[in-house]
Amino acid sequence: MTMLRFLLSACLLLFFTLSAKAADTLTVGAIYVGSTNDFGYNRSMHDGLLAMKAAIPGLTLLEAENVPETADSERIMEGMIQQGAKLIFATSFGHQDFAFNLAQKHPDVFFEHAGGWKMAANFGNFFGATQSAWYPMGVAAGKMTKSNTLGFVAGVPIGFVIGNIDAFAMGARSVNPKVQVRVVVTGSWSDKAKEAAATTALIDQGADVVTMHVDSPATVIQTAEGKGVYSIGFQSIEARTLAPKYWITGLGFTWGPFMTDIAKSVIAGSFKPAFVRLGLGQGMMAIAPFGPAVPADVQTAVNAAADKVAGGFNPFTGPLTDNTGVVKLKEGETLGGDKMGDLDWYVEGVIGKAK
Amino acid sequence: MSPSFAAAVLTSSILSGTSLLYATLGELVGERAGIVNLGLEGIMLIGASVGFAATALSGDPYLGTAAAAFAGLAANLLFGYVVIARRANQLAAGLTLMFFGIGASALIGRPFIGASINGLSRVDVLGIGSFDTLVWLALPTAALLWWLLFRTRWGLALRAVGEDPAAAFAAGRRPETMQYQALAVGGLLGGVGGAHLSVALTLTWDEGMTAGRGFIAIALVIFAKWNPLWAVAGALVFGGAESLQLELQARGADVSPFVMTMIPYLLTLLVLLFWGWNRRSAAPAGLGRNFFGVE
Repeated sequence: MTMLRFLLSACLLLFFTLSAKAADTLTVGAIYVGSTNDFGYNRSMHDGLLAMKAAIPGLTLLEAENVPETADSERIMEGMIQQGAKLIFATSFGHQDFAFNLAQKHPDVFFEHAGGWKMAANFGNFFGATQSAWYPMGVAAGKMTKSNTLGFVAGVPIGFVIGNIDAFAMGARSVNPKVQVRVVVTGSWSDKAKEAAATTALIDQGADVVTMHVDSPATVIQTAEGKGVYSIGFQSIEARTLAPKYWITGLGFTWGPFMTDIAKSVIAGSFKPAFVRLGLGQGMMAIAPFGPAVPADVQTAVNAAADKVAGGFNPFTGPLTDNTGVVKLKEGETLGGDKMGDLDWYVEGVIGKAK
Repeated sequence: MSPSFAAAVLTSSILSGTSLLYATLGELVGERAGIVNLGLEGIMLIGASVGFAATALSGDPYLGTAAAAFAGLAANLLFGYVVIARRANQLAAGLTLMFFGIGASALIGRPFIGASINGLSRVDVLGIGSFDTLVWLALPTAALLWWLLFRTRWGLALRAVGEDPAAAFAAGRRPETMQYQALAVGGLLGGVGGAHLSVALTLTWDEGMTAGRGFIAIALVIFAKWNPLWAVAGALVFGGAESLQLELQARGADVSPFVMTMIPYLLTLLVLLFWGWNRRSAAPAGLGRNFFGVE
């Protein structure tokens, strides 16, 4: 019995020394909805956190992958807090409510959630402004296509996705007015077999550049590469390694600088919750390196378009009509930010119905 | 409908229907021996991840497919031990197998996410079209299975076990042995079905990539009235429904994407409506019941 008590107190002592040690620097917890080597969204989040870790010496990073968007996520984040985490990144949309509950319960722990809207004294929200960033991707596709047909594989047709498609089409038509964008909606963020079939169907319809908005760009890029068709990536710029020959460029999230700033503010005790949406040139979105097949003049045009967007250009500026000819934005009207979530029409040049 | 449209839909249906067909045949053999396996989704996932992993490691997609078949077989025999030797409830054990498969496949496939593999090469046979080997083998497999089930003594014994294990036992057959054999064949086919998704169709592995196809295959067994040849038609119809909506969208059909994604289910409802159900249903009489011997 005494032996047991001794062991117990020894354990407790050890635990306290360890936690005291951990308190010297910051411990950051991060949860991902999928696997961090998906070449997609989760990979981009993981890369951002690694950049943060590299930038702040002594920082401890706790990570959990495949965390479902259920109450399980709350338990996992709670566990990270027990291990000393003072800053938590909840990286999937559906983690919002669970992270928010914990933020109320632990006022001394800071939370950052990706893509939501909730805010509190210790709870901030961040995401990339993707729509305008798709414009230069369109420029790249419009310049590279020979058939004037572009293919877009979309997961679920929510407003933000439709906005990406529209900006892509507008970018393409700004350099090549004959371009048409064909869209196939799979109805799921991740259904590899359907993504492969959709890509094939688009290529059969003459698309010679394909791109996508699904969780992982891998299947679409690999299917296109196998058929000798150009692809443009989305989510993580690392997807280019999947298409050594026919990669044009891609749009990826670069969360590192933002995450580093947030971690530094927590260490300094100056954390301020904010609703952050940053795009190209603002540190949260970046254009991937170009593939070997992209000529210099195309690269120049894409970079120029990217600079234009970084300078504040919003492609969703009226007058703008939808693909049936109805005026949607009048002269001088613009669309952006949260309103993108309500977008339900395709611009001229996109074939198909958005709703 | 232009001929090229019909051809494109047919090609696409064959491609997406192949994994369904293998899985359906696998479930069908087991059910003919009286065992419902709700864990088919898990078997397919194990096949998909093992197939992908073995292909990535060896560089040979055929070796990968073979590995997937054996992994499916092993997992199904594990299920067999639980429901045949231990006489556990088949529905509960099946669902457990599904969850086991989801977890095990994630574990096996994890290091290989994002790996590039050489998929099964496509062969052009008699100018019909260019398909991978598993597609070409699908119809012969269904025909062979039909012949085995309905034209051999082994098939007769297997079906007898599925109808009435006690009677089969009285006739000198060992129901347990027949059921193990059926599950071995079933696991093999389920594993191949999963491998077709990862090694031939998408060339990627992703957790849960079967996306419910294992359950569609279980439904297809009912649709096929436990006949391997009807399973071919069923897999084509279901595969066709999926590709039809994708092909229609690629052609810019003026239909809402929300209606499009409903097409497979609408078509399923229509088929069931016209297919109907009759009293002389072909379901094996002993389906789902455990055999406790004839004391």
